[in-house]
Amino acid sequence: MELEDIVIEGSHKNFFTPSVNFNAKTGICELSGESFLEDTQEFYKPLIDWLEEYTTKIKKPIAFLIKLTYFNTSTSRCILDLLNVLKDYEDDGGDVTVNWHYDENDSDMEEDIEDYMIDTGLNINIIPF
Amino acid sequence: MESAITEKRRMVDNIAISYTGIFDTEILSVLAKEIEGTLSPDDKVNKKVFKIFIELAQNIAFYSLERETNAEGNDTGVGTMIIRNYSDHYVFSTGNKTTMENIIPVMEKCDNINSMSREKLREYRRLQRNMPAGEKGGGNIGLIQVALTASNPLEYSLIKCPDGAYFYIVSVRIDKE
Repeated sequence: MELEDIVIEGSHKNFFTPSVNFNAKTGICELSGESFLEDTQEFYKPLIDWLEEYTTKIKKPIAFLIKLTYFNTSTSRCILDLLNVLKDYEDDGGDVTVNWHYDENDSDMEEDIEDYMIDTGLNINIIPF
Repeated sequence: MESAITEKRRMVDNIAISYTGIFDTEILSVLAKEIEGTLSPDDKVNKKVFKIFIELAQNIAFYSLERETNAEGNDTGVGTMIIRNYSDHYVFSTGNKTTMENIIPVMEKCDNINSMSREKLREYRRLQRNMPAGEKGGGNIGLIQVALTASNPLEYSLIKCPDGAYFYIVSVRIDKE
């Protein structure tokens, strides 16, 4: 059974589309750039479905890398949904690594990541750049 | 009298960016570029103002009582945004028409947010984030995010319009570092 990669090139126009690179072979999934979308749910639903598919059918190790420099509050709900899928997988015995890269001058982002750790119970590696 | 005029004069002189009209995505992106690129030499401050702008502008687009149809045929809220530039801080304000029954819960939310410490606010944001997004904007988290980003209280006021509606203004101070 084949799970197709998701590759989306980010853009910074009227809305800000993040770059997405979910790789089913390597299990490396990256979400980067900025996220402020016209229809946030519509954008993130396929990403959440993909992770669910990967973590219930493929069941190989997964490395989730977040490098978002900005996201609005409606995106923040979708990020929580993505992380919750990973947490379920981990609870299920899955091999999960989450690395969250952030600008070391952005203390708000650091707080945000800490709050996601509390919320999800996932161990997130917080990596300043 | 003299000083009252001077005071008003200063309020006008300090305006960095102001806009009144439809808050559709086209306008949002023009204003966003203006804020991101040119407002302050400090990128960190620009980013704070920008984050606050996105949340409050979306509230106008979704919830303003006064509405217009833009060029693409989308129904969008009409409102006002003003950024004032002072020596050690900016004041970001938005205003839009509303009804008394719609705005009372929003004002109560502002009072509630203002009464919380930063730790409590983060807890409140987590709580709201875990709730299903009731409406399209997720306006609940937006105001919490504004207060957290600015690290200052939300100030609001309400003006009665001649047509019986109300004009709601929310302002927040962003300190320059």
